[in-house]
Amino acid sequence: MSTFTPYTYFQCPCTDSSPPVRNIGSDSPTSIHSSSSEDEKAFDPRAPRANYSLYPLEHLLYCEDCHQIRCPRCVLDEIVTYYCPNCLFEVPSSTVKSEGTRCTRSCFQCPICIAPLSVSSLEAPPEGLGAEHASQGGPYVLNCPHCSWSSKEIGIQFDKPNGIFTQLSKIKNGGDPVITARERRKDREERSRDSAPGPVTDEDGVQDETVVKLDPNEVLDAESQFSNLKAFYQAQLAEASPANALGFSGGDYGYGSPGALSRIMGLYTGGTYADKKSKAKKGTMREAQNAFEGLKIVAPNSEDALIAKLQNEGWDATSSSLQRDEQSTHTPFISDLRPIAYLLRTKRSKRCKTCRHILSKPEAKIQTTRFRIRLVALNYIPSISIKPLQPLLSTQLQAPLVPMKPTQFLLTFKNPLFESVKVNIATPAQTPGRFASKITILCPQFEVGANTDAWEEALRDGSKGVEREKRRTKAEASEGQLQAEAGKVWERGRNWVSVVVEVIPASLKPSPDFLKTEAQRKLAEEGGEDDRVREDEDVVEIPVFVRVEWEADTGGEDGGLGKEKEGREKRELAYWCVLGVGRIG
Amino acid sequence: MSKKPVKGEYIETDTGNKVSRRSQIIGTTNIILGGKTVIQAEVIIRGDLLRTYPSSSSEGKGNPVAVAIGRYCFFSRGCELRPPGKMYKGYLLFLLPSSSPSYLQHELMVFGSTFSHYPLKIADHVLIGPGTIVEAALIGSHVSIGAGCVIGKFAIIKDYARVLDGTVVPPNMVIPSFSVVGGRPGRVVGEVSEGEVDGFDLREVYRGVGN
Repeated sequence: MSTFTPYTYFQCPCTDSSPPVRNIGSDSPTSIHSSSSEDEKAFDPRAPRANYSLYPLEHLLYCEDCHQIRCPRCVLDEIVTYYCPNCLFEVPSSTVKSEGTRCTRSCFQCPICIAPLSVSSLEAPPEGLGAEHASQGGPYVLNCPHCSWSSKEIGIQFDKPNGIFTQLSKIKNGGDPVITARERRKDREERSRDSAPGPVTDEDGVQDETVVKLDPNEVLDAESQFSNLKAFYQAQLAEASPANALGFSGGDYGYGSPGALSRIMGLYTGGTYADKKSKAKKGTMREAQNAFEGLKIVAPNSEDALIAKLQNEGWDATSSSLQRDEQSTHTPFISDLRPIAYLLRTKRSKRCKTCRHILSKPEAKIQTTRFRIRLVALNYIPSISIKPLQPLLSTQLQAPLVPMKPTQFLLTFKNPLFESVKVNIATPAQTPGRFASKITILCPQFEVGANTDAWEEALRDGSKGVEREKRRTKAEASEGQLQAEAGKVWERGRNWVSVVVEVIPASLKPSPDFLKTEAQRKLAEEGGEDDRVREDEDVVEIPVFVRVEWEADTGGEDGGLGKEKEGREKRELAYWCVLGVGRIG
Repeated sequence: MSKKPVKGEYIETDTGNKVSRRSQIIGTTNIILGGKTVIQAEVIIRGDLLRTYPSSSSEGKGNPVAVAIGRYCFFSRGCELRPPGKMYKGYLLFLLPSSSPSYLQHELMVFGSTFSHYPLKIADHVLIGPGTIVEAALIGSHVSIGAGCVIGKFAIIKDYARVLDGTVVPPNMVIPSFSVVGGRPGRVVGEVSEGEVDGFDLREVYRGVGN
C-alpha cells in the first residue's frame, strides 16, 4: 500500500491466436455483457490469462522480418555456451552430454542454505609444534560461510583441495567409499562366475545361490541396485532377442534393430518363423531373483531405523522440502544431504519462432557481455511513461487516488525510431474489473518526432532542461490553472510527446444493489461474490490500444538500385498496453 | 529519485565527482575515484582498511589502494563500502628480512596466521542502494544493487548483474553476468533480459544530481 510506482506492460500479439482472453475471467464486466460487440476485442488486464502475455517493454524483442513484437513465449532459445556460474569456466557441450549439467570442478552449494561452499583445510597445527608443518595441507572440508555448515557434519573430508567433485563422488556420507561403476561391474562379473553352476532353474535356485556366498537380501545402495537391475535386464534381453546374435547391443528397443523388424514382420505375416522363435524364447525371460540381479525385498522392519531416528532426533533432524528438491536421491534427514554441485548456466541466442531469424545473439565467450545481434523492442516501439499531471510535493508522491475525484496523468510517448511516427491510442471508457474507473484520453491522436543520434542528444543536453522548463511555464501561462485541453498535445519534445489522460477512480465500495445491472446481480448470486477488495483490485489498470504508423526504408535488400520512391514503405504496429497508474485509497 | 539536496551539499572534484559533505570517507589517500561518481550523505568508505599482507605483484610504488571506484558510480545515502578481509595461514616468508637466518624463516612460515584486507574494486556505472553494506572483492560494470543489501566478503559480482532490495549475498559468492539475485542467502532468481541492458547507464542519474 505504501509505495506504488506506475508501470506500463505491453501485450505481445502472439497471444491473439489463443481464445479470447475476456471470456476466461468470471469477475470481469466484459464477460458480463459479452453480447455487446463494440468492445469485442477489448483487452482485460485482470483476466487470469493476461498475466502470461504482459511484459515490460524491456523484456520484449522485435523481429525485423516479421515486423512484430516478440515475447519470451514466441522466441526459440538456442544454447550458445554452457558455463559454471561459480567458477565461470566454459563447459564444452560434449562434456555436458557425458558428465551431466553440473560443474565437475570444485563448485558446490551448501545443502542447507544453498550459499556457495568454500574449501578450507581442517585445523591448523597447534601452536608451538614445528613438526606439524606437513599436516598444513591436511584434510580439507567444505565450509558454508553463510550458515556455518561443514561437510564434517556429514563425515566427509577430502585429501586434496581441488577436484572436489571427483573426490566427493567416491565418498558416501559418513566417509565410506562409494563403489564405483567399474568396481560394481567387476563385482557382478565375479559373482556371476561364482554363482554360475546352479542358479537358473526354479525356486531352488534361490537357495542354491545363498549357498554360493550370495545373500539375496543384501542391502545395496540405490546406484548399485539400479546397475544390477539394469545389467540383469540387459542380459535377459540379450538372451531373448535374436537381434543380439547379429551383434547389436542388447537392451535397446530401437525400432530400427533387426529384432524389432523381425517382430513386426512376424505380426504382419501371422506366425511365421520369427514368431515361433520368439514364442520359444518366451520361457527364458524371467524376473530378478536376488540382490545381485537387482531384486530388493522390502523387509517390514526396514524403516525401523528411520522411525527410531525420527523419534530420537525429532523434527530438527529432518530436511525441508526445499533442501530435498536440490538433492538427487531421497534424503529424509539432514545427515543425508550432500553438497550440491553447481548447476551449469547457459548463454542463449534467441530466434523468432515464425521466421527463424535470430533476434538476439550474445558473444560466445563467457567473460564478454556484448551482443552480436540484439533486436529489442525498446528500439522499435515508443515507450510510455506515466506521471501525475499535478506537480505533487515529494511527500505526496505516493498519494493514493481519491475515489470519484478526477485525476490527470501525463503519458509520455518516446519515439526510438529515426522516423517520425503517428500514434493512435484508444481505451475502453471504463476499466474492466469489478471497480470500473472512468478513463478519458484527451488527445488520442498525435505525431511523435523522429529520434536523432545519441551524439546530437549529448550535445544538446545542456540546454534541454531549460527548454523544457520554458515550455512548461508557457503552457501554464496560456492555459491558466494547468487545465488540459481536449484534442491537444500537452507537451512536445524532439522525439517525445506527452498527452493527458483523465481517470475518475471508482469507489471501492460495491455499488448499491439497485444500481447493479441484471447480469451483475445474477453473477453475484451465483458466484457468491463478496464485497471485500481482493488483492490488487484497488490498482487502477488502464488497457490502452496503441497503433503506431510510420514510413520506413525497406532496407538495403534491393541493393540500393536507385529505387528511392519504392524504398519507403508504410509500417503499422498495433498492440495492447496496460498502464498501472495508481492505487485507489 | 533522490531529493533535491540543500544547496552546497555536494563538493564537486576536478574529475566531476560529487561528494556529499556529510559522507564519511576515511583514508582518502587509498581511495581512487574514476570520476563522475556521486557519493551521497552518510556514505562510509573505509579506505583505511589497507592490505597488510604484502602482495607478490609489483604494487610497491605509489599509494596503496584500498578502494578503487570507476566512473559514473552512484552510492546512495547511508551505504558502506569496506574492503574485505580474512585470515591467512602460513606462508609468511616475506615477513622476515632477507638477512634473517633460514631456520627462523621456516618457523614463521609454519606459524604464520595473519588478518589482511584486500582491495575492493568497483567498475563503472555501479549503483548501490541506500543502507547497503558492500564487502565484495569485485563489482563489475553496470551493476545495480538495491537498498538494504549485504554483499558478503570476497563476493564477485560480474557485469550487468542486479541485486534486489534486501538481499544477503553470502561471502565468496560469484554472481555471473546478467543475473538477478535475491533472497537470504542470495540466489540467482532470474535473468536480465536483452532490453534491460541499456537501462543500467547511470549518466542521466549523475546529471540529475546537483547542488
